Amino acid sequence: MGARSESIPFRENAAQAVRNAALRAAMRNATGTFSVKRSHAIASVPIEEWRELASQVRLHVLDNLEEYVNRFERNAVKAGATVHRAKDAAAAREIVWCLLKDHGARKVVKSKSMITEEIHLNDYLERQGITVVETDLGEYIIQIAREHPSHIIVPAIHKSRRQVGNLFAEKLGCERSEDPVVLAKIARAKLREEFLSADAGISGANFAVAGSGSLVLFTNEGNGRMCTTLPELHVAVLSIEKVIPSLADLPKFIRLLPRSATGQILSAYVSIISGTRKAGEATGARHLHIVLLDNGRSDIVSGDSREMLKCIRCGACLNACPVYQTVGGHAYGSTYPGPMGIVLTVLLEGMERAHTLLDGTTLCGACGDVCPVKVPLPRLLRRLREQRVEIGFTAAAERLGMVGFGRVARSPAFFELAQKLARLAWKPARITGIGSTLDRMPMPATTPFRKRIS
Amino acid sequence: MIQDAVVDLFIENATKAGAHVVRVTNVEELNSSLAGMLDRVNSVYSPGLTETERTLDIPAECRTDDYKDAAACVEEVHGAIAETGSLICSSRGGRAVQAGLLPRRHIAIVSAENIFADLDRFLGDLGDSPPTNVTLETGPSRTADIELTLTIGVHGPEHLGIIVL
Repeated sequence: MGARSESIPFRENAAQAVRNAALRAAMRNATGTFSVKRSHAIASVPIEEWRELASQVRLHVLDNLEEYVNRFERNAVKAGATVHRAKDAAAAREIVWCLLKDHGARKVVKSKSMITEEIHLNDYLERQGITVVETDLGEYIIQIAREHPSHIIVPAIHKSRRQVGNLFAEKLGCERSEDPVVLAKIARAKLREEFLSADAGISGANFAVAGSGSLVLFTNEGNGRMCTTLPELHVAVLSIEKVIPSLADLPKFIRLLPRSATGQILSAYVSIISGTRKAGEATGARHLHIVLLDNGRSDIVSGDSREMLKCIRCGACLNACPVYQTVGGHAYGSTYPGPMGIVLTVLLEGMERAHTLLDGTTLCGACGDVCPVKVPLPRLLRRLREQRVEIGFTAAAERLGMVGFGRVARSPAFFELAQKLARLAWKPARITGIGSTLDRMPMPATTPFRKRIS
Repeated sequence: MIQDAVVDLFIENATKAGAHVVRVTNVEELNSSLAGMLDRVNSVYSPGLTETERTLDIPAECRTDDYKDAAACVEEVHGAIAETGSLICSSRGGRAVQAGLLPRRHIAIVSAENIFADLDRFLGDLGDSPPTNVTLETGPSRTADIELTLTIGVHGPEHLGIIVL
């Protein structure tokens, strides 16, 4: 257990988070609002049929991942893009930096992208002397606060309007306001200058369409459209499992993603970008570079947690999760929080570092119920928890206790004896206050359930 | 679905998404609706790429060729989708799709016959060589990033006007 010190201190983080009343109120508001909006958005549509269809498309892609990624690459190149393959985060960062260097880019505007969070791109580029400006309002807020996203859809959800007002006044030198409308206007004016003066735009992609080589981006603010159409150079970073077969498959996901994410019928903008500006056109970057990141996906797709790669990053499982609702995103200490985040982090970063996150689930199954592409999250979580025990990443006392319980529970005579002993020992144990967990445990019943029904 | 029902559904859904939608039957009505929507806007970008765009009655002194500084963009868009209340903005024919994004006001004209009933009918036929940029625009620009309070017009237009012709 020497690796313990290197694992994510989830329990400690969570304990700290639950003591933060303001954070809990913010999380309750956000997750509650999203869950209600989602329920309304799916109320009058054949949601089960849609989920099944989308799940089948995603599974089909995973079954033929290499072929679809190659097809996407071929067609993107045909449309004018340059495609780069990156094995891991370091390779992807290096590629992006070289592209910026080659084009003499000093300032880049960014559209919200979880994959660039996964590879820690901003810090790296800033160390190389590049000015990186996040342009999604939520990302902009946490960038100037020098924090990380706490939700994959609304990254600054943990911040109150008062905190944002103070932050803007301090960092941007504007007049203090707590009105979200005023704050958004301040950001609009500030960021408009950045859009028009940036040398390059960096984005992720929600989907990559193999048949046409297109990138598909969903945004509400319009910043994604600015980043991908205004600068001469557009660099898109995406992981390989984002691919879908053809544009004809896109409606299935257009119907599910915004409904599951924010409860909208559709995000304000869906951009389908196919290559670079062609002769006679007035839209499109002059240079489009697409960085296809593997970062462990090829291994995951051949393993028994492969269905995790069906995920379309809507965040519905975060909002539905009683643990996420309580502790918020930062407690997970990982790029991706919540149920999908636990599974993905264990798969991407390994059991040694991420096994502690497996405590962050009640196995209630709510995440599986809301997933628009039927990722079997409860099953994946349970299996990873089993693996964690098998590998030995649980506390020695816990393992010993479970082995002991197993022995006792297998024999009715032993079990009855243990019940008697527990009844005798409980009171003195609680008085001496062995542990806080014991304090919260109910007293054993005088007549056990088994006796009462027989 | 017959086309009249498709148009009605589009108008209903676009309105729900926060667009201001009017339906006109001839060029005179079009220009009078446009005048109402433009109100006192004094810098209008309109590319004049289609027959309809060329018949628009926008005074020369109010026009600008630079969409980056324009207060409004008036254009005829490729089509619309009734299911979602979305406009289809396409770079086909040399159109600058971002022109409808930067000004505070986007006024889109769409011909009733170019309104598709659902997403499949448009995207299913788009094929494997789509124009460089196709954007589905549904309502004005919005964010809820601060305490989930809906705020309209953060980077893109605050006002989306649609004239169905």
